Amino acid sequence: MKDLKTNSDRPLHSSVKDLVEQVRSGAIDRRSFLRASAWLGVSVASASVFAGMKGEAFAQTETPVDGGTLRFACQIQELTDPMLSSWIEASNLYRNSLEFLTYVDADNITHPYLAKSWTPSEDLKVWDFELDERAKWSNGDAFTPEDVIFNIERWIAPDSQSSNKTAFSAVEKVEKTGDHSVRITLSRGVSSLPEQLYSYTCPMVHRNFVKDGANWPANPIGTGPFKLESFEVGRQAVFTKRADYWGTPAHLDEIHYIDMGTDVTTHLAALASGQIDVIYRASIAEYDLMKSLPNIQVLKANPAHTLVMRMQVDAKPFDDVRVRKAIQLAADNKQMLDVAYRGEGVIGANVHVSPTQPDYFPLEPVTRDVERAKALLAEAGYKDGLDIELTLGNTQGKWEQDTAQVLQQNLAEAGIRLKLNVLPASQYWPVWDKVPFGLTYWAHRPLGSMTLDLAYRSGGAWNESHFASKEFDAALDKAMAVVDPAKRSEAMREVEQILQDNAVMVQAYWPSRFCATSMKVRNYKLHPADYFRMDGIWLAQA
Amino acid sequence: MTLILFIVRKLGGAAAAMLTVSFLVYMALEVNVEDVAVKVLGQFSTDAQRAAWLTANGYDDPFLIRYGRWLWSFVSGNWGESTYYRAPVIDLVPDRLAASGLLAGGALLVMVPVGLFAGLLAGMRPGSLIDRAVSLLSIVTTSIPDFASAVFLSAVFVFWLNWLPGASTMLSGFSFSEMVLPVLVLAFYSTGYLARVTRASMVEVMGTHYVRTARLKGASPARIVWRHALRNALITPVTVIMLQLPWLLSGVIVVEVFYAYKGFGTLLYDAALNSDIRLVEACAMVSVLVVVATQILSDIAYGWLNPRVSLLEAAMGSK
Repeated sequence: MKDLKTNSDRPLHSSVKDLVEQVRSGAIDRRSFLRASAWLGVSVASASVFAGMKGEAFAQTETPVDGGTLRFACQIQELTDPMLSSWIEASNLYRNSLEFLTYVDADNITHPYLAKSWTPSEDLKVWDFELDERAKWSNGDAFTPEDVIFNIERWIAPDSQSSNKTAFSAVEKVEKTGDHSVRITLSRGVSSLPEQLYSYTCPMVHRNFVKDGANWPANPIGTGPFKLESFEVGRQAVFTKRADYWGTPAHLDEIHYIDMGTDVTTHLAALASGQIDVIYRASIAEYDLMKSLPNIQVLKANPAHTLVMRMQVDAKPFDDVRVRKAIQLAADNKQMLDVAYRGEGVIGANVHVSPTQPDYFPLEPVTRDVERAKALLAEAGYKDGLDIELTLGNTQGKWEQDTAQVLQQNLAEAGIRLKLNVLPASQYWPVWDKVPFGLTYWAHRPLGSMTLDLAYRSGGAWNESHFASKEFDAALDKAMAVVDPAKRSEAMREVEQILQDNAVMVQAYWPSRFCATSMKVRNYKLHPADYFRMDGIWLAQA
Repeated sequence: MTLILFIVRKLGGAAAAMLTVSFLVYMALEVNVEDVAVKVLGQFSTDAQRAAWLTANGYDDPFLIRYGRWLWSFVSGNWGESTYYRAPVIDLVPDRLAASGLLAGGALLVMVPVGLFAGLLAGMRPGSLIDRAVSLLSIVTTSIPDFASAVFLSAVFVFWLNWLPGASTMLSGFSFSEMVLPVLVLAFYSTGYLARVTRASMVEVMGTHYVRTARLKGASPARIVWRHALRNALITPVTVIMLQLPWLLSGVIVVEVFYAYKGFGTLLYDAALNSDIRLVEACAMVSVLVVVATQILSDIAYGWLNPRVSLLEAAMGSK
């Protein structure tokens, strides 16, 4: 215990003691210990030494080399106001110039960033953040508590259209407590607040952002290690290293983000012929081609991202829970994984919490029962079957449609005639939360409760299923206030059970995630949330 | 004089065609006013913001008035703002059109000499080994669609041999090596087609009485082909080449998208995918303009090759 230190040098939070006992007794693993203690403001370095993980967490075999240009293939999408972003791909551009209060690494462990330390109160309702006094904006201004207050107040303002409004709905007050300190007061205890502050819609923009036109590429002020040089939608974005960066300088001189369209085969061809160094994403369709290419490294991970075929509980015929249950019972989740994603992933339990998320509680899965589905339909008044339509946009690739086609065949067995309405990706997003039955891709969140908070809390901005349940909200509040990983998972049992009982969605599987880089790219890790920070990356000399 | 009359007449027809197309395009894209507001203001806009924007931009007026206003601003050079690229449409189109023109020019440079030469060579001696080889090759190339030959050529030259780059974004200026694959794919199909047409035309001309007469007079084979057969044999191939021009400019979408080439095809594709209405309208109008212009050019070339065709009559539409 003596070895454990907080970043703020303040005394340890009382829950740290419980965590220590649990990791000693083997009730939680060392990574869970690191994650949970980091939320409470414990320094990751001291926690790693304490848990005997030094070598694992900080292993580095090569000396980084400075210089060079990294070429990154991804879509260059329109971007104006970071808090309104609905594309993670776009957030990776501003991640070079805009920074966050905290940083969550590829192992889901939270580190100091613009905030050098944080201290929660015993009830996890009052959080004191100490800002790094060295942090400076690219226009010369100091990074101050006013910047933090401006950002958070804008996220949660009554007319805010940002998804942050739901994610930070517990925030009651943000106030300045010193030249470099900010206090966030919550209406309920939230243990993972530091982790949430690294969501892709949460970068800190300058306090004059709105005054200057609320258009970041037009006025790209940031605190980050790179500067935006040029930005052309559909073509290219160029970032250059800032000599006057306040923190540890980046290794790369330049990063070129190149738009090569939506066809991943083209990206792979460009990677194979040395025109680019990193491709943002590949799907199962390109997996074999990728593996066969010499001179590239293929990265694979199992993040908590998934396809959700959700039903709007207030739209006919889905307002009848028997119809929704019948659809769940007729769906064959394993077949969808095996056929549409060639078995590369993990089966889902229709509750949108992944076994890889630390707060997951393993509920009894819904077993397929076509006869019972038919009986439920007949009970609901659809003796002769049911005609429904599923809208999808292949936003991540053709496997979305493949999944929907398997579901179509599954449902046909129960007499449900499913019509697929396939839209181009960009036409899906304008209607994703409006269609009665839609297939939506949900990106990874470190905790299951974070996703559920965004997607299923009553009245949330991203609540596409219109699910509203007071018991669910209360159970979720309870789970979100728990620090102890084992107790948190137990608290999630009720949350997951309510969702499963209400049959809000078919969430068939958790697909593996792939990407590829050239051999010379070093220290590039497949972040489970697709958040790629480029300052630690370097290029090996040929 | 005849030529001027012909051109005036043709331009009149072209204007009528463009007017019709403009009406159809406008009707297809702008009847659903609600969509326009969502596209311009984004999915996070509120209903009140959308209604205000629609009123401010004159969307409350009747359809025909809106069409008339749009047509007038289009003719006077105000093509509107692209909602996806956030730039004036008129600034986007010329560069992309030039890029596609470059690609089409490259394809023509391969297709015309190779196709004509192979076709003439095959047509001079029907049934010979050369004829059979050319016919076989051209059937093979014309039966492979461009999306298949793009994959095939990439598999060979990019993934297997590693000789050529796999994407043609041309972001750091013109690159010859990046041009090779898209040009080849475009030329692949058309060259075979042109060779077959030229061969058929040549075979026909070689069997005519004036060629037979020349041969009886004792003219050398080179003189027969050069002086007597060639010009007549070229009439059909020239029409084919002219018909390829609009296809090359607007039909390159597949090739441009596959190679991430930033030309007119990808512009139209991205505009359609992102419901960028003003940009789709402008691209459609420019495509019509290209088709109409190449038709006029091909009529002129036709008249020059075949003096029996009177431009005036062609213009008046009488025999």
